Amino acid sequence: MSIQQQYRSRAKELLQDGSVKMVIGYGEGTTATRRRPIFITNPDDTDRLVLDAACKTNLAGYLLREGLLADQKSVAIFLSPSGVRTINILASESQLSSAQVVVLGFQIQGDTVKALEGTKASDFSPLIAKRKEKRKAQPSHEMTRKLEQMTPAERFAFWEGEFSRCIKCYACRAACPMCWCRRCVVDNNQPQWVNTSSHTLGNLEWNLVRAFHLAGRCVECGNCSEACPVNIPLHLLNRRMTEEVLTAFDHYPGADEHQEPVLASFRKDDPETFIL
Amino acid sequence: MTKILYSDDLTACFSAWRKEGTKVLGPVQQAKTSGFGEVQDAKELDLDLVLTDRTLKELFFPRTEPMLSYSIGKQQIDTSEFLPSEHPCIIFGARPCDAAGMAIDDELFNWDYRDEYWFRRRDRSVIMTIACKESDDFCMCTSLGLAPDSAKGSDILLRPLTSGKGWQVEELTPKGSKALLPIASLLKEGTEEAAPTAEVPVLFDLEACTTWLANPENFESHFWKEISERCIGCGTCTYLCPTCHCFDIQDEGDTYEGIRRKNWDSCSFQLFTMHTSGHNPRNTQSARWRQRIMHKFNYFSDKFSVHSCTGCGRCTRECPVDMGVRETLQAISTLPK
Ligand code: SF4
Ligand code: SF4
Ligand code: SF4
Ligand code: SF4
Repeated sequence: MSIQQQYRSRAKELLQDGSVKMVIGYGEGTTATRRRPIFITNPDDTDRLVLDAACKTNLAGYLLREGLLADQKSVAIFLSPSGVRTINILASESQLSSAQVVVLGFQIQGDTVKALEGTKASDFSPLIAKRKEKRKAQPSHEMTRKLEQMTPAERFAFWEGEFSRCIKCYACRAACPMCWCRRCVVDNNQPQWVNTSSHTLGNLEWNLVRAFHLAGRCVECGNCSEACPVNIPLHLLNRRMTEEVLTAFDHYPGADEHQEPVLASFRKDDPETFIL
Repeated sequence: MTKILYSDDLTACFSAWRKEGTKVLGPVQQAKTSGFGEVQDAKELDLDLVLTDRTLKELFFPRTEPMLSYSIGKQQIDTSEFLPSEHPCIIFGARPCDAAGMAIDDELFNWDYRDEYWFRRRDRSVIMTIACKESDDFCMCTSLGLAPDSAKGSDILLRPLTSGKGWQVEELTPKGSKALLPIASLLKEGTEEAAPTAEVPVLFDLEACTTWLANPENFESHFWKEISERCIGCGTCTYLCPTCHCFDIQDEGDTYEGIRRKNWDSCSFQLFTMHTSGHNPRNTQSARWRQRIMHKFNYFSDKFSVHSCTGCGRCTRECPVDMGVRETLQAISTLPK
C-alpha cells in the first residue's frame, strides 16, 4: 500500500470511530505541482487527501483557529518533524493541549515521503532528539557563514537591501504558526511601537522585532520564507537564531512540550558573556 | 504598412527619451522578485516574463508615501503638502492585464474626489504595453472579458513580431503619439507580421458568477466558509493585485511634529474593520474573503460598471495556501443561482 493510501485509511478510521472530529491535511492544488491545506470531517472525503513530496506547508497553525479545539475534541493533522515540534512549542506556550492532537507524521526526503511511527506528539521525542544532534553537527550554511564574515556595515547593507523590498503585508506573520498573538506588537497604536509604513526604518523594525520574537521558538519550517511575496530570505535570520540558541543554551526549539522558552527562563549556568 | 520598433533600437529610444527628460521604466528582476524599475539600457529589461511578480500599480500608488508634514506650535499649526512630481515617464513593457488595472482604478480614484497622488502620476506617465505571446497556468484575462492584446489602459500597444526582432507599434492615445515623437526616426515602416497572441482558456462563466453574487440570499451562504477555510489572511492577494487599492492614513511622529503617510492596507486583515469598541463587523476570515470577492464583482461593478479584476492571476499564483479569485469564481459558476 502506498503511503498516501495508508494515511488515507488511517484518517478514515479516525473519523469513522469518532476519535477525531477533523483531519487537517493536504489536497490537490490549482496545478499538478501545488498542494493546498484541506479540512476533512466526513470519512468519505478522505480520498481527497494527498501525501507526497510537494506537501511542504506546516499546517500546525490551523489548530489555533478560534474555537477549533474549544470543545475538547481531537483533531488529526499531517505533520512533518518540524510540525511536531510546533505542536510542542504551542503546548508549552499554553496555546493548545497536545492531548487533542493526533499526529499523522511524515518526513520528506528528496522526492519521496516516509511514514513516521507515532500518534502523540511525545511519541516523536526520540526522533526530535536525534534531529537536534544532527542540527548541532550540521555546519553553518554557506550563506550564514558569508553573512557572519561580513563587517557590521556590510551586513547592515545586505539586510537593508533585502528589507527594502518588504511591502509590510505581514504574510510572514500570518503564515507562521508561532505568531499566535491575538494582537501583534506592530498592530499596537497606543503607543505605536513600530512604524507601520513600509519605508526602510519601518521594514527594519518589523523584521527585527519578528526575528527576535522567534528566537528559540522558530522550528525552521519555512512557512514564512515561502509566503513572503517578495522573496526576502527570512530563513537566514531564523537559521542564525537557531544556531545561536543551540550553541549558547543547548536549546532546540520544540524538543518536547515541557521545554521552557529560552528567552523567558533562567538557568544558573546560562552563559553571561554579554553582561558587563 | 505598420510602424515597427526593432529591439536593436530600443536602447537608442531610451536615450532619446531620457534626453527629453523622460524617465524610462520597465520589467526588471530585483533580487529574486520581478517588478518595474528604472532602466538605462534595454539589456536590463526582462521581457520574457509572463508577468512581473509586483504590479504596475506601485508606480502610481506606492506602498507608502508621505502626504503632508505637520508641526504644531504655541501660536500656529504649520503643514506642508508632499505631492508627487510631474516628471514625465515612460513605462515600457507593461502587460495588458496590468495596464487595464490602472484604467479600472482611475474610476475609483476619481469618484468622490480626484486623488492627486494617483492622477499626477497617471498624467505624467505613458504606458507602452506588450501583447502576450505566452501565458501561464494562472492567467485568466479572457475570463474577465479582456485578452492578451487588450488595449485598455495603455497608451501604446506593441505586438511582438513573429521574427522575435521587435514589435508592431499601435498608437492608442494622444499621450502615446506624443511619446513617439522623440523616437520617430527609430521607427520603421514595415509589413512584418505579428506573432499570434497567447491562448488563454476561459475558466468560468462570469455572468453566472455575478448573478449568484447579486442574490442577497447568497450573502450568508455556507459556501463562503467552505471556500475560504484555509485562508490565513496574509494579504498577499491584495498587495499583489493590480486593482486592489485600499489604504490607511498614519501619522508618524508625535502630537507636535510628524508626517502623515498613506500606506497600503488590506481587507484580508482582521484589523481592517476592527472598531475601537472591539466590535468587528467582519470578524471571520470568510467574511473578509467574501468582501474581497463582493467588492470586486458586485459593489465595484455596480458603481463603476466594470469589475475590479483583470484576471492577472496573481492572487492564485502567489497565495501561500493556493486560494484565489479563480477557484472561488470557478466554484460559484457551478452553483445553482
Ligand atoms: S519563523 Fe518562519 S520558519 Fe520559523 S516557525 Fe515561523 S514560519 Fe516557520
Ligand atoms: S512577508 Fe515579506 S513582504 Fe510581507 S511583511 Fe513579511 S517580510 Fe515583509
Ligand atoms: S487568499 Fe491567500 S493570499 Fe489572500 S489573504 Fe488568504 S491566504 Fe493570503
Ligand atoms: S483579483 Fe486576482 S486575478 Fe483579479 S486582478 Fe487582482 S490579483 Fe489579478
